[in-house]
Amino acid sequence: MSKDVADQKREAYLRVRNVTKKFGSFTALRDISLDVYEGEFVCFLGPSGCGKTTLLRAIAGLDIQTHGSVFQGGRDISGLPASERDFGIVFQSYALFPNLTVNENVGYGLVNIRSSKAEIAAKVAELLELVGLPEQGDKYPSQLSGGQQQRVALARALAMSPGLLLLDEPLSALDAKVRVHLRHEMKELQRRLGVTTVMVTHDQEEALTMADRIVVMKDGVIEQVGTPEEIYRNPASAFVAEFVGTMNFLNASKANDEQILLGENLLNLDEAERQKLNGSPILACVRPEDIQVRNIDDATENAFMTTVKDLEFLGSFCRATLCYGDEGSNINADFSINLVRDRNIIPGAKIRVAIPANSLHIFPADTAK
Amino acid sequence: MTDQGFSVTPPVVKARLSRDDWVMRAFIVGIGLWLVVTLLLPLYAMLSKSVQSKDGTFTGLANYIEYFSTPALFNSINNSFFIAITSTIITISLASVFAFVLARSSIPFKGFFKGAALLPLLAPSLLPGISFVYLFGRQGVLKDLLGDASIYGPIGIIMGEVFYTFPHALMILIAAFSIADARLYEAAQVLRTGRIRTFFTVTLPGIKYGLISAIFVVFTLVITDFGIPKVIGGQYNVLATDIYKQVIGQQNFEMGAVVSVVLLIPAVVAFAVDRFVQRKQVAMLTARAVPYEPKPHFWLDSVFFIYCVVISAMIIGIIGMAGYASFVTFWPYNLELSLNNYNFDVMDGGGWASFYNSLKMATYTAIFGTIIIFTGAYMVEKAKGFKAIRGVIQFLCMIPMAVPGMVLGLAYIFFFNHPDNPLGFIYGTMPILVIVTIAHFYTVSHLTSMTALKQMDPEFETVSASLKVPFFRTFLKVTVPVCLPAILDISIYLFVNAMTTVSAVIFLYSTDTSLASIAALNMDDAGDVAPAAAMCMVIVATSATVRLIHALLSRGLQLKTQAWRKR
Ligand SMILES: Nc1ncnc2c1ncn2[C@@H]1O[C@H](COP(=O)(O)OP(=O)(O)OP(=O)(O)O)[C@@H](O)[C@H]1O
Ligand SMILES: [Mg+2]
Repeated sequence: MSKDVADQKREAYLRVRNVTKKFGSFTALRDISLDVYEGEFVCFLGPSGCGKTTLLRAIAGLDIQTHGSVFQGGRDISGLPASERDFGIVFQSYALFPNLTVNENVGYGLVNIRSSKAEIAAKVAELLELVGLPEQGDKYPSQLSGGQQQRVALARALAMSPGLLLLDEPLSALDAKVRVHLRHEMKELQRRLGVTTVMVTHDQEEALTMADRIVVMKDGVIEQVGTPEEIYRNPASAFVAEFVGTMNFLNASKANDEQILLGENLLNLDEAERQKLNGSPILACVRPEDIQVRNIDDATENAFMTTVKDLEFLGSFCRATLCYGDEGSNINADFSINLVRDRNIIPGAKIRVAIPANSLHIFPADTAK
Repeated sequence: MTDQGFSVTPPVVKARLSRDDWVMRAFIVGIGLWLVVTLLLPLYAMLSKSVQSKDGTFTGLANYIEYFSTPALFNSINNSFFIAITSTIITISLASVFAFVLARSSIPFKGFFKGAALLPLLAPSLLPGISFVYLFGRQGVLKDLLGDASIYGPIGIIMGEVFYTFPHALMILIAAFSIADARLYEAAQVLRTGRIRTFFTVTLPGIKYGLISAIFVVFTLVITDFGIPKVIGGQYNVLATDIYKQVIGQQNFEMGAVVSVVLLIPAVVAFAVDRFVQRKQVAMLTARAVPYEPKPHFWLDSVFFIYCVVISAMIIGIIGMAGYASFVTFWPYNLELSLNNYNFDVMDGGGWASFYNSLKMATYTAIFGTIIIFTGAYMVEKAKGFKAIRGVIQFLCMIPMAVPGMVLGLAYIFFFNHPDNPLGFIYGTMPILVIVTIAHFYTVSHLTSMTALKQMDPEFETVSASLKVPFFRTFLKVTVPVCLPAILDISIYLFVNAMTTVSAVIFLYSTDTSLASIAALNMDDAGDVAPAAAMCMVIVATSATVRLIHALLSRGLQLKTQAWRKR
């Protein structure tokens, strides 16, 4: 993790320290601390109601936190009103001014700081060009598609060249196709401008494809912070494992200091996972796509026999339900279409599979879901 | 606080206020003070007057005891309730059927019928009284229809109140019927529910809240109305006319205050029930329903059609009678038509000058009222923090609905005419008439503003703040243009009501600031009934013209802004 080491040396651009937000007696955020570095794209990811928007609004100064502090670019902005902070924001509703043209919307803030009309017009044109909407400046928001409106909102948020770009579910009002397309565009734009960005989303795919780092939240606390890869490969808790991607949760028990017992099969654990072993019942986790079928011989670690119970065709791959013991001891595995054909995997077939130790994670059983 | 272990509660972050926040708060305080001065303090002055003797010493409930031991006075309570309840039953019955027909049948000319039914809104409430004098009075054209009964008294009052409150009930009931969910009807049909059963199981529950609301609105309007009982009540006393008699006739201000308090109670109760019910109705509206499409049904539609014709004919007939009488040279002896009755300048009451005063007063009320009320609603809706004060203001904004105009007017005398009041200089001037009228019609205008503002994206202000644009620029560039239809509605509502109102201003005008509606009342009082009818017709014509201009303006606005308004 050389990136982390490098990160520790430079000062974070946005520092959130021990932020707690209470609404009456309800605590929406509990002691949140977080660093966002210059030029980074960070996603807050979590289920509905976990406090993502609340945290974003605290950073923006829209709903100031009850306790704790926020620093941006070294400046303590903890109690500052939104108008004295330096950010651009895009909401899920876009909040475009309906009676103003696209040009007027994008140039809305520029009128205050620039004097000449020509300068504003040039800047607006440049921004619209940037978000891929040249020539649309004279239309009204209601005359644009959802995706176009979203881009106008983005252009408006970027108009004042803010140090921080805040996005609250900017894509969730769009249909699936447009969403996927805009994901790439937005990410590309952010990279090009190098603007530090915080985006709220409850869509894990969005977070995984766009973010440099993901902050997974649950019930007002941060469960894990890491790159998409880390979050996906090494979930810090059963909650993260479940929320991001698909995961098998298997009941297992401790066999010895290095192994667990899954049904009747002894499985080796990685060094890191062994630390988590204790006496209690265990949840063993493995992603369906990590289950190995090819090149298994007697020497292969963590291999065992299974029976194919069911096979579900999911387009580019198949999801098989494999039984490794008595009724209910099932595990899902994703196999490529080729593999299914080559190995003649059909319901009823017996196949030998392996779970590589580095794909196997364990969590205490009582933390499930 | 019971901290576990040694953890110390961290300090609470103190939010710094932006300049926008300060400006908004200043506005809110301003609006709050406005409401306190134009509403709360006058009402307080009236309440305290009711527990004082003539020389201003505190006498506790002595005035009330005197009131309740004088049968001539407290009998009016019975009379008022009798009139209010009877009128409410009749109005609601008639208006329910009318609203049902307009919302749920497929008869032709619905637009015309609705327009006719709303006509009474354009007239001062004394117009039906005057009209009934010509229809059923001693020399009335239809006098024989009444047999031995006299129109001067409960019969006339009730008929007048039904005319006057019909459109108010109708609007609420049409709204209630229109939000009917077609899916419920389809379900009922699929289940082969009969028409009658459908009515009781689907229709009635659907309009329940609208119905209750209409009942209480009509009840309040009737019990607080002054114009009709004044003109046609004869010797039949009700609370509203008692206030007038005590104050103007006997100069007994303390007893006027006592009657006001007595009148305030049923109005406040009715208002509270109405608010409670409306809250539920709103919740029903927000659920997305499929609008109901009425299907033709020949026999039923024919009956409905005739019903609408009859009701519309009666309404138009009542206004028409007053109109006709206003042109008749000398009823009933010289039926030749002339404009003699419009020669107001030769009569008591203020002449044409009072009409121009009314125009001025209505214009000022529309302009300043709209600005004050809409801006106030905006600040209360959009400001951050300041919760308690905003809550208090929201509450204050609701009070005018529950305060009868007579009571408010009398309260203004006590407050503004008090020798120690530094604002006393406005007493007897045009501004006090404008201020009392704004206060009187505050609630509906405020609610209209709130409805419009709540439809705005709450993040407009946030976006402006992030763009470092002061909120008032967004208010002027976005909020006002987007809310312009509602703003126009408010100003027209204020204008028409200012033109027609009598009760709130009757105690407050001076010889220089007499108003058209008051002139009509005074001419009627002096026996010049035809000129009074003429003045009412002038008011009706003015209100109608302004409404027409408003309709044209709205149409033009719609065309001009359809580029950005969503269909
Ligand atoms: N103004 C408020 N008053 C009271 N409770 C609030 C307020 N705003 C948010 N909450 C509560 O705080 C919690 C977190 O809300 P928040 O809007 O941050 O969730 P979120 O993670 O953004 O969810 P979503 O994905 O649904 O937008 C929720 O339980 C919510 O009910
Ligand atoms: Mg949210």
